[in-house]
Amino acid sequence: MQIEVLQDGGANELHLALRGELDALTAPKLYEQLTQLVQGKPGISQITLHCRELTYLSSAGAGILLMCMDNFAPKGITLGLTEVQPEVYNILDLLGLTKLMSVTHA
Amino acid sequence: MPKTSLQFSAIADNLPIIRHFVQTHLKSMVSDPIRINQVTVAVEELCANSILHANKEDPEKELRLELRLQGSVLHIYLYDPAPPYDIHAYPAEPKLLRAGTNRPGGFGIYLIRRIIDRIDIRRRKGGSSVYHMVKDLSA
Repeated sequence: MQIEVLQDGGANELHLALRGELDALTAPKLYEQLTQLVQGKPGISQITLHCRELTYLSSAGAGILLMCMDNFAPKGITLGLTEVQPEVYNILDLLGLTKLMSVTHA
Repeated sequence: MPKTSLQFSAIADNLPIIRHFVQTHLKSMVSDPIRINQVTVAVEELCANSILHANKEDPEKELRLELRLQGSVLHIYLYDPAPPYDIHAYPAEPKLLRAGTNRPGGFGIYLIRRIIDRIDIRRRKGGSSVYHMVKDLSA
């Protein structure tokens, strides 16, 4: 999986593009990179993950997204997913995560 | 696709190989990409549990995944050298956070239950196990 920092974010925003498959192998990398980015950008209040090219999500990937959301919330940071493909959205929906975080379709 | 199988060792690096194997074969049977993805996820979750937890990523352990289509019903068999665990003993709802940690748990088994019509688990002679999942692809 590739994680790219997009340059269209404001001072308090972080926009990332996720490409590929988020599973048990790649989920720890996402958590590590998001944590580093948050530490390196104090004052951030919104992280948006652009998921148009995220083609697969396993339970491990969903778990990492939830863990990020829970860890970032006390810091005043909101995590959202946008441009989510129908297959990935369906898995998030089955798990009930579409009710816990902002998730929008591609 | 009457019957097809994949043998693999119990290492996490094999998870993408397993799901691509399942996706490839499902595409010849099902046109709905969401249905293909759901079944792929359920199979991968079952295999991930066996690889990561039951066999603790021991590369010496060999597992076999078998897909059999009978009419519109897909039978998925996982032959695992480790003793079986009781998938039905897990809570019906996933834990958003595990007690004492900040990590979520139970998502994989919850997804299997949501997606698959039936799962049976059998202990074989010698202590190994067979997981049998059933999914009607026409439903």
